[in-house]
Amino acid sequence: MADFVQTLITTLEVGSLYALIALGYTMVYGILKFINFAHSDVVVLGAWISFTLASWILPAIGLDPHNPATPPPFWVGGVILVGSMVACGVVGYFIERLAYRPLRNAPRLNVLITAIGVSLLLQNIGQLDFVFGPSPQKMPALLPKWDVISFSLSGHGGVHAISIGVVDVILFMTSAVLMIGLEYLVFRTKLGTAMRAVSFSPTTAALMGIPVDRVVSFTFVLGSALAAAAGFLYAMKYPGLNQPAHTIWVLLGLKAFVAAVIGGIGNVRGAVVGGFVIAFVEQFGAFYISSNYRDVYVFALLILILLVLPNGLLGSPVRDKV
Amino acid sequence: MTKDTPAAVGSPPPPSRAATFGARAWAVSLWPFVAGVALAAFLYFTLPSAIGPYYLRIVVDVGIAMVLAVSLNIVSGMTGQFSIGHAGFMALGGYTAGMITYYGSILCWGTASRHGGFLGVGDWLFVVACVVGGLVAAAAGYMVGLPSLRLRGDYLAIVTLGFGEILRVVLQQTNKVMEDAAAVRASTLSDWIPPPVGGAVGFDGLPKYTNLFWVGVFVTMTVVMAYRLKQSSMGRAMLAVREDEIAAQAMGVDIAKTKVRAFVLAALFAGMAGGLFAHEPGLIISPKDAGFQRSFEYLIMTVLGGRGSISGVMLAAAILTALPEFLRDFEQYRLIVYAFLLIIMMLLRPQGLFGIHEIWQIWPRRAGANPKTEAVAR
Amino acid sequence: MKSNQVPSQDVASGASTAPLLFAEDLWLSFGGLKAVQNFTLGLPRGALYGLIGPNGAGKTTVFNLLTGVYRPDSGRIVLDSQELVGRQPHEIAAAGIARTFQNIRLFPDLTVLDNVRLAGQLRASQRLGGILLRTGRQREEEATICRRAFALLELFDLQDRADTLATNLSYGHQRHLEIVRALATEPKVLLLDEPAAGLNSREKQELAGSIRRIRAQFQLAVLLIDHDMNLVMEICERIAVLDHGVMIARGTPAEIQHDPKVIAAYLGCSEPLN
Repeated sequence: MADFVQTLITTLEVGSLYALIALGYTMVYGILKFINFAHSDVVVLGAWISFTLASWILPAIGLDPHNPATPPPFWVGGVILVGSMVACGVVGYFIERLAYRPLRNAPRLNVLITAIGVSLLLQNIGQLDFVFGPSPQKMPALLPKWDVISFSLSGHGGVHAISIGVVDVILFMTSAVLMIGLEYLVFRTKLGTAMRAVSFSPTTAALMGIPVDRVVSFTFVLGSALAAAAGFLYAMKYPGLNQPAHTIWVLLGLKAFVAAVIGGIGNVRGAVVGGFVIAFVEQFGAFYISSNYRDVYVFALLILILLVLPNGLLGSPVRDKV
Repeated sequence: MTKDTPAAVGSPPPPSRAATFGARAWAVSLWPFVAGVALAAFLYFTLPSAIGPYYLRIVVDVGIAMVLAVSLNIVSGMTGQFSIGHAGFMALGGYTAGMITYYGSILCWGTASRHGGFLGVGDWLFVVACVVGGLVAAAAGYMVGLPSLRLRGDYLAIVTLGFGEILRVVLQQTNKVMEDAAAVRASTLSDWIPPPVGGAVGFDGLPKYTNLFWVGVFVTMTVVMAYRLKQSSMGRAMLAVREDEIAAQAMGVDIAKTKVRAFVLAALFAGMAGGLFAHEPGLIISPKDAGFQRSFEYLIMTVLGGRGSISGVMLAAAILTALPEFLRDFEQYRLIVYAFLLIIMMLLRPQGLFGIHEIWQIWPRRAGANPKTEAVAR
Repeated sequence: MKSNQVPSQDVASGASTAPLLFAEDLWLSFGGLKAVQNFTLGLPRGALYGLIGPNGAGKTTVFNLLTGVYRPDSGRIVLDSQELVGRQPHEIAAAGIARTFQNIRLFPDLTVLDNVRLAGQLRASQRLGGILLRTGRQREEEATICRRAFALLELFDLQDRADTLATNLSYGHQRHLEIVRALATEPKVLLLDEPAAGLNSREKQELAGSIRRIRAQFQLAVLLIDHDMNLVMEICERIAVLDHGVMIARGTPAEIQHDPKVIAAYLGCSEPLN
């Protein structure tokens, strides 16, 4: 029982992260009809920018980043989150402007290759000595290590303590706020309607007077900001930060992409659903079957879904015009 | 072919029966292979002493890279199926071949070291192992090709990427290698499932049979076959699938079969190259060789060399394999340069340096040349 | 024609030959949109028929149904007593239906010659072993495909441009190449989708003559979609008119020109056409 509850909690957390990242993939795919391979690298960027900001801010307010005896004031975390989101938003803007916009009408294969190029660029520039460096670092703790809820449950081999800490609560809440905010933006505002119009048909949207280029830029900025938030939250939860080109980031992004596809690529709500589905499969598979193959479960699910429900759980079929 | 096919005015007469099926036909059919093998043998006996082990190693690496790039070109460049899991086929072939030579050697001769000299028994075990590796990879290529029928470019990329990464993860969970005959005799079923190929450390201890000769032989085989494929109806069908699937179908091309064929052929050659790779002296094949980062190395060769140009891709393979060796000091910038190269190529010259043409086809036409006689003679 | 068999009356001449291509009762909807409703057409051997209608009427959709790109929700398509519904497009091409496309779909980075050879190889069969070993048989077949391709290119005087990339041809030549390519599959039925679009009047005259010549030389049945009424009225023996997926009229050019339903569909009034 204890194991089940613990796995469930982890599922919800990991699911929120996957959902945040998947949203970026799905929005860009909806608008431009291509997979932004470089999206997961923005997540990494967000995590590492958070680290860098923390290592600047904490000393400035008199705290040692490697060993904060007392946890920093709450606003530090907020500042770093916002800073990271802004920085990544800017990066996302420039990526779209310089690498993707010139290829707006090129064959999709070419844009895909470009995206791979951008992805590699971000990874490897990030690993340069004067940027983030090629070694892992430890993210300083920005939140107190208190337990918000703590209870005991009987489980495998005795009684286990299940705790939900401040970090976990903040992770849930931040993700929830961002996802709800996005839902509102996409479905209740004019800007959101413009985004949906462009994703449906850019030419028609342009004819209706929607500034397509600006909407596309905004979508990229938004997706990158969400990716940065996911990176920051990931760093909070798993402070052992691996270097930018480490495979663990590639897998993270890949799984989030699978989440977007499973939910129905292009479908914002689907991305959220997909994120939790993937997390569920991964965590419960790892626990109850074998944790060595946790990545395999996710891919197996992808292949299954693509063959059985090619448009994902919430997606709708698209026909080629001949 | 019937005798009453109306021949167009001015075209050459149909070849005589002897020319079609006699000894001359066999000569036409086989001469490139014979020439390639002869050249490979010549280089094997002369080059090593001339250039020394360091450069020899580079030449071997270039040869293996050429096979991989040309094979990737079949599925990605010619057929337009975006495959970024090519290293997975290589690794599968390499590990399979390794298992055959390693455990086969132990079973036949008691040890896993090199057996016999040039073209000795050990060499032939190695060749068989490479071919079997290729076949296993081809079977995997069939399975990976099947989703390509349903999925368009982006999705296919993810599935192929997933294939490579899953293989990498699975290879990491393999059992450790058994050191000698005694260990093999004492082994139980659980030592063999999952296969004892070393896990995360890699498949160490393989007999190192790869040399300039075998690399030359495989390069010859791959390049000649790829070139003939390109000039044939199957090659045209692949190109048509790349250009416009709907039109290709309307002209009678079975696009499903064509795509799967492309994957199978590409995987076959990649698997054999994997055998060469695993048995290269000084190299240990490991799970990361199935992953995305290695697949990417071959992808950039096809992007740079030209989608559909065999010689272009070979040139790119040579440059991108040899150059980093000479620029070791700048290793940390290598991938950054590659990344920039990819982006700039896509922005400025997406068809690659040579596009669909071979290197020798970019000379301007002679004035007054008749396209018809040239085409028929080609 | 509501019978369950293929009718044995030739609609044009009254001779008792079954139509070469017979589409019966085709229906196709995309979601809530009824693209084609209750479409029936018989195309006899050697006939030259036209299919017209205002934009969006579903003409290209009918072509897509006949070539297997779309599968009809219900109905039959029979070519020379072979049932075609449910077959893959490439199987239908092999059965003998070839087409051109409304928005030219040549293989842009292939040469003119390769475009035609690709279509021509449908009738040859090269096995993989033969290719990789470059056997005599394979070389023979390649030579045959090449010869036939050049013969077809000469129909439209394209043989000197054999090595040009298809994308570098002029528009008029591209339209011709599309027809040549379709002919290379040795079809029984040729579907031409707006072959005259973008041509000037002299080119259209030449095209009209070419279509007639091709029909006679290769013994084809031709079904033609076009918006140029002069061209259609001039060369088509019978015409079917589609509007919003429904066939509203069929008959000889003279009958169609004076049919009020047709006039209303095009112009919204009842004056005779031209």
